[in-house]
Amino acid sequence: MSEAILRISDLSIGYDAGVGQIHALRNASLEAHAGEVIGIVGESGCGKSTLAAAIINLLADNARVLSGAVYYQGRNILELDRNAQRRLRGSDIAMVFQDPMTTFNPVLTMGDQLVDFQQQLVEISTREKQGRAANLLQRVGIPDPELCMQRFPHELSGGMRQRASIAAALLMQPNVLVADEPTTALDVTMEAQIIHLLRELRNDYLGAIIVVTHHLGVVAELCDRVYVMYAGEVVEQGLVDDIYHAPRHPYTRALIACDPAHFEDHTPILPTIRGRLPDLMNPPSGCSFAARCTIASDVCRNMVPPWVKISETQSAFCHKAMS
Amino acid sequence: MTTLLEINDLSVRFPLSQRLPNPFRAVAATHIDILRNVSLTVETGETVGLVGESGSGKTTLARAILGLWPISSGTIRFCGDELKTRSSFNSVRKSSAMMFQDAVASLSPRMTIGSLLMEPFLIHGVGVENRKAKIAELLNSVGLTPDIANRYPHALSGGQARRVGVARALALNPKLVIADEPTAGLDVSVQGEILNLMTELKSSLGLSYLIITHNLAMVRHVSDRLAVMYLGRLVETGPTRDVFRKPLHPYAKSLIAAEPQPDPRKRRTDLAIKGEIPSVLNRPAGCEFHTRCAIVQERCRKEEPRLRNLAPGRFVSCHFAEPETRN
Repeated sequence: MSEAILRISDLSIGYDAGVGQIHALRNASLEAHAGEVIGIVGESGCGKSTLAAAIINLLADNARVLSGAVYYQGRNILELDRNAQRRLRGSDIAMVFQDPMTTFNPVLTMGDQLVDFQQQLVEISTREKQGRAANLLQRVGIPDPELCMQRFPHELSGGMRQRASIAAALLMQPNVLVADEPTTALDVTMEAQIIHLLRELRNDYLGAIIVVTHHLGVVAELCDRVYVMYAGEVVEQGLVDDIYHAPRHPYTRALIACDPAHFEDHTPILPTIRGRLPDLMNPPSGCSFAARCTIASDVCRNMVPPWVKISETQSAFCHKAMS
Repeated sequence: MTTLLEINDLSVRFPLSQRLPNPFRAVAATHIDILRNVSLTVETGETVGLVGESGSGKTTLARAILGLWPISSGTIRFCGDELKTRSSFNSVRKSSAMMFQDAVASLSPRMTIGSLLMEPFLIHGVGVENRKAKIAELLNSVGLTPDIANRYPHALSGGQARRVGVARALALNPKLVIADEPTAGLDVSVQGEILNLMTELKSSLGLSYLIITHNLAMVRHVSDRLAVMYLGRLVETGPTRDVFRKPLHPYAKSLIAAEPQPDPRKRRTDLAIKGEIPSVLNRPAGCEFHTRCAIVQERCRKEEPRLRNLAPGRFVSCHFAEPETRN
């Protein structure tokens, strides 16, 4: 496979919380190649949004990068100065946020905002920028782009706004598109349409798409490769088919087993994962899933698990991945 | 089984302000219809799932049942008594409880969990002998430890807040619990816990549920009967299993098909449903669904379909829905 566009290696990020530091992300590694759709999946508090924020460098003020790096085209973007980071943001790495309501400025028309997003393109005229914006709106399935550009964000429906925010992210033809829970705020029918749109876009979009979600169905429908996260760590990665049909990490298995969409028939008592997430102020010394794992033994509780390579495309962070 | 809740031809409409005439409208509308001729029953011990997209009127229906929205026409009967006056609704609120959509926001941030749990008793003037014991009992019944009674809502996790919502709903031993999106915003594993708790309480306390949701995967496992709403009208009702196996209304069909499957081998290539739900301000003539329907015909644009009984317990409002043929 070609050289990765984006490579995160051993990234650890902590949040200062007054009484201590929350280890939100611990030794996470990820690779994204051109043309790939990557899924990052996990429950709330597993660090997936921190990882997404690190990619586009929008970490909160109290976040500290403890170790590791994010390489984009061979450069560690965490070490760039603010201006260089800003130049990357939007033009090289763009983001689609969860809530399409707050993505746009409510007091400017869609057209004005979509033109503003292209401010780095100094050589072309406003009229041309408007044309580009209209083209993209058309591309993402907005029926009357010229009219849409005269409207204010509140005049569009949730689905239309999310389409427009995807168009806004693609305006500068970024190499990496990060979508943080792109369908969570939408209805099932609109969700299906956005999935359909993203799948269609990947055919003519050359960069990598990274989708962050807690919805296993969205990942299954959309992604090529999946990273499963738990308590700030990547616990398993592999091709989407491997993850759904031959998961090796007990957490991945439990997560898939819990999804009610998984059962064909009426199941009155649904499976759950017993226990709670570990305290991320003092992460456990061994495997972070050991306390909730059904097959955990002493070695799991005391020793950090190894990365077990299961095949060329799949690996799991578990002592018992091979058994 | 006896009928606990019976809704007959219920309509809810809001008057529109006449002070600002809308210049874009030829004939000024005087009202908007939020619910149109909804008929639904909930039997004792039954769980009914109410599904539909946002804007289909699910929450308005729940609020109308509890008397939180005024109804325009139709009747609501609870345990055989018609609800009409304010006092009849007040009494129904004692024996039917609501779990609100946003569990954290439904708890006052300035009250402790203990005093929040005592609120239903105070509001309905029910005396409690030993408050501490009652709070502990309620918290135990939803799987929480009594020590959280002194905490404030912000100190709870989403799942815990949800459980407090369940405990509050159960405080006065209701017969009917109306749960508005009981699992929205919860992780899959926690979602399972809340649903299991609700199922468990249903059998131990003999509750009936009306679950309002747009999570089809969830409602499939917890409900006995399913009611599908579109733009303020019921388009299909029937036993959950049958509806999922073979939805008869094209909207129910596309809604079920739109649910993403957690299996990459079952990826869909076509799009089940296009477009979005029309505004109630601009209700399509004839069948409301005709603007998005795959099998639309001329008749659908003109004539409103009636709810027809197509199979035992199944009612569908579509001109062209056919009963299942056995083969």
